[in-house]
Amino acid sequence: MNWIMKQLRKDLWSPEVAGIGLGLVYIFALWFSHRMPGTSGTFFNIAAVVGKPLTANDPINQFFSVSYPPITQGLNWQFYMVVGIFLGALASVLIAGKFKWTLIPIEQWKDVFGGAVWKRWLVAFVGGIIIEIGAGIAGGCTSGLALAGGIQLSPAAFLFIPGIFLTGAITQWLIYRNRY
Amino acid sequence: MTTTDILVALVLGFAFGWVLDKSGLNRYYKIANVFRFTDLAVLRFMMSGMLVGMVGVYTLKYLGVVDLTAVTATVLAANIVGGLIFGVGMALAGF
Repeated sequence: MNWIMKQLRKDLWSPEVAGIGLGLVYIFALWFSHRMPGTSGTFFNIAAVVGKPLTANDPINQFFSVSYPPITQGLNWQFYMVVGIFLGALASVLIAGKFKWTLIPIEQWKDVFGGAVWKRWLVAFVGGIIIEIGAGIAGGCTSGLALAGGIQLSPAAFLFIPGIFLTGAITQWLIYRNRY
Repeated sequence: MTTTDILVALVLGFAFGWVLDKSGLNRYYKIANVFRFTDLAVLRFMMSGMLVGMVGVYTLKYLGVVDLTAVTATVLAANIVGGLIFGVGMALAGF
């Protein structure tokens, strides 16, 4: 019992141990809900739930009422899973005693790019837009395409993953250079 | 969608969020450094998760318990180009 509490209170686990938990989440999701976890689709889902009533009587904007019917039937399974992700991560930091409010990442970002809040928020905002555009084109994100697809041995995942690492490495090389 | 579905989604999401935090994937420096190849926690986490998932999912499939869900369609250009764009955003934002 003490050993379990000690593990639960740890800040970080070995990535492989956490990875076993990740694999189990995907197995149980397929088993009990016949779905694979994904997260980027949640943004489409929320946009559709908000956008459909707003554009229902608009003769020009038919995007939500015609083009996207599958995701306009209310909040979907993925949405509730994303709520669960938030709660699970929150519980993890609370039990580890690491909870704190901060406007920018304290580790590494502050040392390399300084403490300006606007800079981090701008980069995160622009980066977030690029992420969602990429996920929209590819058909999923790291969870819904790379992991869910990879586990089911879909070629799509193995075309997607090398691309992330190629441009990700180039981007980091350009913005970090020899710093840090 | 039934209430059971919602509960399963919340519980699995909770476990997902828990392991994401315990592996450090919700931290900027973990995502930033995997692309600089100075901290491979992201890869170690994702690859071991995929290994466990592959074995489990295909075992259940051969036992006839599950069908593989609609997998994202393989479209060569879309998957590759999407991945290339995604990588830029992921490295910048650190999400």
